Amino acid sequence: MSERKIKLDDAMPLIKEKLASGGEVTFSPRGTSMLPLLREGRDTVTLSPAPKKLKKYDIPFYQRENGQYVLHRVVKTGESYTCIGDNQFESEKGVKQEQIIAICTAFTRDGRRYSVNSARWKLYARLWHYSRFPRRMLAALKRRAARSFGKDKNG
Amino acid sequence: MKLKSGFILKEMAGECIVVSVDAALDLNGVITLNETAKTIWSCLEKGAEREELIKELLSEYEVDGTEASRAVDAFVSKLKELDFLE
Repeated sequence: MSERKIKLDDAMPLIKEKLASGGEVTFSPRGTSMLPLLREGRDTVTLSPAPKKLKKYDIPFYQRENGQYVLHRVVKTGESYTCIGDNQFESEKGVKQEQIIAICTAFTRDGRRYSVNSARWKLYARLWHYSRFPRRMLAALKRRAARSFGKDKNG
Repeated sequence: MKLKSGFILKEMAGECIVVSVDAALDLNGVITLNETAKTIWSCLEKGAEREELIKELLSEYEVDGTEASRAVDAFVSKLKELDFLE
């Protein structure tokens, strides 16, 4: 008997079964797209069965048409959803309800569990979203400055 | 010795894993069972004593008494550690 991590793709049938019975699933998300909220290799998320309709700022776990699994935030609702990672500037339009597998209801940072619905993280979601445009400008300026002063990787 | 109820075995990517019916499925700490562990597990579902488990391993696998009792003891102590036994 051994205890270890399993890959998301391998676990999908089990994950879906668990969610279908109303249960929760926890795992460590990979990648940097949900920084600064979720840090790869450090934080874990709890997924719960998806509601019939998502709300703005929800963090759904969904599957893209190319098969890829994604955990991003809803920034616009309507006939379909527009989603984007907290650390991204390009949003993904047209995410359909059928693609939604689950919703992130809680996460663990440094051993502490937080509900995504706590006042603190609700405020974070809004502030982070509304600062996206200035953050994007700043990132572009930094890139330009690095280029013109030769401070980029090749310089 | 008997296993607590609420655990089921599932096949996943060619491996046998233990899933709790009530607790969240935690992909960071999935318990996998090898063939020997699976045999002991299925005996413990019905309830069995140490000697019976050793006997079962001896009849199922080409092992000697020492190996069988070592496997049983290791697995049972792990189950106790995880609080899986009644």
